[in-house]
Amino acid sequence: MHELRMELHSTDRAVKVDAVKKVIASMTVGKDVSMLFTDVLNCVQTGNIELKKLVYLYLINYSKTQPELTLLAVNTFVKDASDSNPLIRALAVRTMGCIRVDRITEYLCDPLSRALRDEDPYVRKTAAVCVAKLYDIAPDLVEERGFIEILHDLISDSNPSVVANGVAALSEIAESSGKDVMRITASVLQKLLAALNECTEWGQVFILDSLAKYTPADGREAEGIIERVTPRLQHANSAVVMSAVKVILSYMELMGSQNSDAIRALTRKLAPPLVTLLNSEPEIQYVALRNINLIVQKRPNILENEIKVFFCKYNDPIYVKMEKLEIIIKLVSEKNIDQVLLELKEYATEVDVDFVRKAVSAIGRCAVKLERAAERCIAVLLELIQTKVNYVVQEAVIVIKDVFRRYPNRYESIIATLCDNLDTLDEPLAKASMIWIIGEYAERIDNADELLETFLETFEEEDPAVQLQLLTATVKCFLKNPEDTQDMVQRVLDMATEESDNPDLRDRGFIYWRLLSTDPDAAKIVVLGDKPVIEDDTFKLEPALLNILIGQIATLSSIYHKPPDSFVVRRRAGLPTEEDDEEDDDDDDEYDEEVRDSSAGGVDLLDMGGMSVNDHKQFTPTAPMTRVAGPEKAGGIEVFSGFVQEGGKIFMELEFSNVSAGQDISTFAIQLNKNAFGLSPANQQVIFQPPVSPGSSGTTRVEMVMNPAMQVPTPNGQNVNPQIQVAIKNMHNNGVFYFAVNLNFECLFSADGEMEKTAFIEAWKSIDDRHELYATVSDLPADSTSIEDVQQKFAAYNIFFIARRPVPNAEGQEVVYFSMKSVHGMTFFAELTFKRGVNAAKVCLKTEATSYGGLAKSALESLLRSD
Amino acid sequence: MIHNFFVLSPRGDTILAKQYRSSEMGAHERTHTEAFFRKIQFWDDTKSVAEDAEDISTTSLENKKRVGDAPPVFVMPDGLTYFHIRRNGLVLGASSARNVSPNTVLELLSTIARIFKDYCGTLSEEALRKNFILCYELLDEMIDFGYPQVTRTENLKSFVYNEPIVVDSVPLTGNMVNPKTASAAAVHKPVISSVSANGRKTTGQQNSEIFVDILERLNVLFSNNGYVLNSTIDGCIQMKSYLAGNPELRLALNEDLVIGKHSGKYGSVCVDDMNFNDCVNRNEFESARTLSFIPPDGEFVVLNYRITGEYPTPFRIFPSMDEVSPTKVEITVLIRAEMPSNHFGANVLVEMPMPQGVVAAASCSLINAPGTGHASAEYVAAEHKIVWTMKKFPGGAEQTMKVKVTLNKPCTTQIRRQMGPINMCFEIPMYNVSNLQVRYLRVAENMVGYTPYRWVRYVTQSSSYVCRL
Repeated sequence: MHELRMELHSTDRAVKVDAVKKVIASMTVGKDVSMLFTDVLNCVQTGNIELKKLVYLYLINYSKTQPELTLLAVNTFVKDASDSNPLIRALAVRTMGCIRVDRITEYLCDPLSRALRDEDPYVRKTAAVCVAKLYDIAPDLVEERGFIEILHDLISDSNPSVVANGVAALSEIAESSGKDVMRITASVLQKLLAALNECTEWGQVFILDSLAKYTPADGREAEGIIERVTPRLQHANSAVVMSAVKVILSYMELMGSQNSDAIRALTRKLAPPLVTLLNSEPEIQYVALRNINLIVQKRPNILENEIKVFFCKYNDPIYVKMEKLEIIIKLVSEKNIDQVLLELKEYATEVDVDFVRKAVSAIGRCAVKLERAAERCIAVLLELIQTKVNYVVQEAVIVIKDVFRRYPNRYESIIATLCDNLDTLDEPLAKASMIWIIGEYAERIDNADELLETFLETFEEEDPAVQLQLLTATVKCFLKNPEDTQDMVQRVLDMATEESDNPDLRDRGFIYWRLLSTDPDAAKIVVLGDKPVIEDDTFKLEPALLNILIGQIATLSSIYHKPPDSFVVRRRAGLPTEEDDEEDDDDDDEYDEEVRDSSAGGVDLLDMGGMSVNDHKQFTPTAPMTRVAGPEKAGGIEVFSGFVQEGGKIFMELEFSNVSAGQDISTFAIQLNKNAFGLSPANQQVIFQPPVSPGSSGTTRVEMVMNPAMQVPTPNGQNVNPQIQVAIKNMHNNGVFYFAVNLNFECLFSADGEMEKTAFIEAWKSIDDRHELYATVSDLPADSTSIEDVQQKFAAYNIFFIARRPVPNAEGQEVVYFSMKSVHGMTFFAELTFKRGVNAAKVCLKTEATSYGGLAKSALESLLRSD
Repeated sequence: MIHNFFVLSPRGDTILAKQYRSSEMGAHERTHTEAFFRKIQFWDDTKSVAEDAEDISTTSLENKKRVGDAPPVFVMPDGLTYFHIRRNGLVLGASSARNVSPNTVLELLSTIARIFKDYCGTLSEEALRKNFILCYELLDEMIDFGYPQVTRTENLKSFVYNEPIVVDSVPLTGNMVNPKTASAAAVHKPVISSVSANGRKTTGQQNSEIFVDILERLNVLFSNNGYVLNSTIDGCIQMKSYLAGNPELRLALNEDLVIGKHSGKYGSVCVDDMNFNDCVNRNEFESARTLSFIPPDGEFVVLNYRITGEYPTPFRIFPSMDEVSPTKVEITVLIRAEMPSNHFGANVLVEMPMPQGVVAAASCSLINAPGTGHASAEYVAAEHKIVWTMKKFPGGAEQTMKVKVTLNKPCTTQIRRQMGPINMCFEIPMYNVSNLQVRYLRVAENMVGYTPYRWVRYVTQSSSYVCRL
């Protein structure tokens, strides 16, 4: 170590370079060389670029693990950021961006904004990425300094790498913030399309990916963009091709049906590049196949004539073969079934067990899919069963069961062959399938009872699935042939009900037992009833999910066939939304303030006017007053009442209009009947100050407290009665009157109802969908559907904003999540869907406290309607 | 984009590793790559659990032995998605927590592999270890914050200051080495001037030369009666340029080249689809089938093409099988070379799997045509297959192999089915099946005294050349 230090201080440049290399070498093998930090740092004062780069390499490493140490070098960075050599300027900016501590930001901003306007494209491109890095540490700062605007300018930069990085940085920020910083306007669109031709391959991918997120105004625009994108299909880089395919497929949806010619032409153009992807390295093939799997589900005609290219090669890796099989099943048709069957038969003789099984099951799936070819498929399956290879037979039995379920009573002739192979079956699924077949066709099999008997010998050791099937099959057998099987069924029922500790088995046993002993005819109807015919499941993704996934082609989603939120790791482990993964909640608050501050300075970067408070109405909770009693009942007083929460306390607001001819009214006593909320007045006295004179009116508030003794429990499953019965005594004349007022539930939301996003998702997911309540609130007052407004309004009522996100594939729609908690501790979760330009909202509410759900829902509805 | 990048040795040691995003998971990266390596080494996607004891032991053993079965993209328990490719035994990997484009990441990985090869001369563990500083320098320029940056060899040159240390290229193992078809030694030299391992600068004038390969890989599947069931050609034109001064080049292909199967045109060469490198200017391609480009340094693919459908297969295979007695099977494999007689197949290898555990003995005899180089055929009991090799297989000739297999139990359909398919590997130098030709390759502007050496090779290789038995 000491020697190294000496060498680092050497005056000979070559020795110095060697020493730094040695330091880096020991650093990369995991040795701690941080004690040499200052020594290495000293070497940076050199005009030699090689040495400088080495020092930076060393620094970048420590910027990750020991950022405080690197801060020591910050002056060097700032100095180098205005070096005459563009390479060094870029190096300094790049390295500073990697130091993830807040303090670096104060040094970084100025050099960064200089670098963004640097004359050298290399520096500009490095700076563009650095903006994304800075956003990771201090998003507010990025917006404050207007860096996002500059990134927008970079899209029209003359240098393609700068454009690429500008787009990349904007997409990164858009993804991590959930905000539409990449908003594509007509002019941006033109810039992007122009840059598409100039860009590096990676830049093209970034541009295409952001184009895919854009929704063209109409079919014509979509067509125009497609035309510009189509040449990308001939790119050698598969990433470019895939992203171009994504853009084209998403836009094709918009072109509408009147354009069927154009669509057909496009369909023809898409096939060759997709097939070409299958000639790349196996890794790329795998990704392509997963995507093609989705594409053939969405638009089967693109590749309908290309089934041959999906035939497996002898030397394909297994993961490619498996995917190819999936696609073959999806593309199989009556035209090509013979060819496919020949292939599948070959596959069934290969070595790899998993692949063989999949091939066998594919043959059965073809039979289920194509009615006309079913017979041929079954012939092949029978041929394979003859080979007596254990796993082939088992797989064949499993899939033949499905064929029977698809075409009942058509192919029983093969049962005999199946029965010959009973002893090869040892997997539960295969056994269960075989037993199901025996039970279903007991009357056609002479020795059905004997066959079942052999299985019954080992009943207790079997897998539950097999036990269940055995039970059912025996009962079926008994119903069809009661004489010979009485004993057997008795024994099975005994075993199922008395000896088994599997609840499913026991319950099913009891049901059968009871059915058989009370009404054998009913048992027949139940057990031997017609079963629904199963359907072809090759196009098995839900259309809604498929549409989402088509929009996600060329992303990981398309590999996993899952929507992105189901696997993308967020810093806070999963949000229900796309946004905010880079900031935690505290940041959110700070961030709002930042926007307010900056809006005062006239910079409103994100068109978030709704968030800036200056010109906007403040929401304060008000009690919705309803007339609850007229003068005839209340002794010359007209009473309005409602509830409100203020400062964490709940008040009943009373407005008395004195319409009597008599005297002032001032003092009352109040009493509440037991109610569903446990509300009772904190103080029974109600005083109007000043007294209400005849002809005028006055308001007062009665503080309410929670008193469990006052709560009427609501039976589960019933909706809570929101009514609160009130008795008022006029202390002046001892006159008593009664009225009832409906509680407006929002006043009971407590201020501690705010939730962590993670907790929210957990809770949201944990509640059964049956407990969801829906409502559509239409005819809302105009301009009240701005989500920012709603958010603010709700916040005033302790309805806490959790997150918002655009609805995928539904332009202009956004969902917003809120949580609330009543003072009793009941929690409610709401999902509101808004559509731009429509004065309506959909409300979906979930809660464990189902009785109160209706109230919470109507509270939200009335709040949405209120100004 | 990507969170980290790493290169693992065939044994799973981390050779290079670079982190682009602060680890949100908190765990040390090295433990992650170790877990990752275990995962790809012992990929076992166990869906079928319950098999009898014997089956489990054999299949799981098999599963564990098979390398390269892990799909290139999967999620690890740490929540990150890992991508990887294998090159020369090395594993190049990356991980990401985002919904990134998998194509981009995989393409980036292969690009990195290519660049490392361009700069280090060879892509091997030793080369990377010796040149790790250079590699890190390259990585810093190629990826910033996880986003791909400069990935062209020639553009990188101006940012890279380290010099490569050349290691002796690892002698290629396997049977595809042939002086005629293996790349010239020059192809293994780095694109920038280098120091050899003993620290001396390599001296000598840089030759101005360019290597052009028209490489066609054949995928053919024959039925057992010799019919072609399926055939495709994956072709590409590859170049490796050491031209001084990076002049613009013009490359002309057959004039009557037709692209698109359904275009309705007729030509001597008809490809289904073609795609091109970024740098290629296609202005004159439609009219004159001429491409112009400034060749990037290092190895690059000018274009890829794909041909399906009928084309003359260079070799045809006719197998036949006779059951002489219940325990004796005679298999005859006749192979006919259908290319012109001035060409020959080199390093021909024919493999035929035999059923496991039932072959008692197998004897092979060959009937050779004249002009065949050293040929041999034998039954390799350890691998359960017949291996037949020929050094040279002249065009127009016919070769026959007769195998007499003695089984230790009577032959069933199942046993018969486990024989085959016949898999053939070969390469044919200076021949291509598609007839796609380079009409000329010349420097666009006339430069006096500039005569680069042009090395144009045509190579046809088998990719998957299989005949069912």
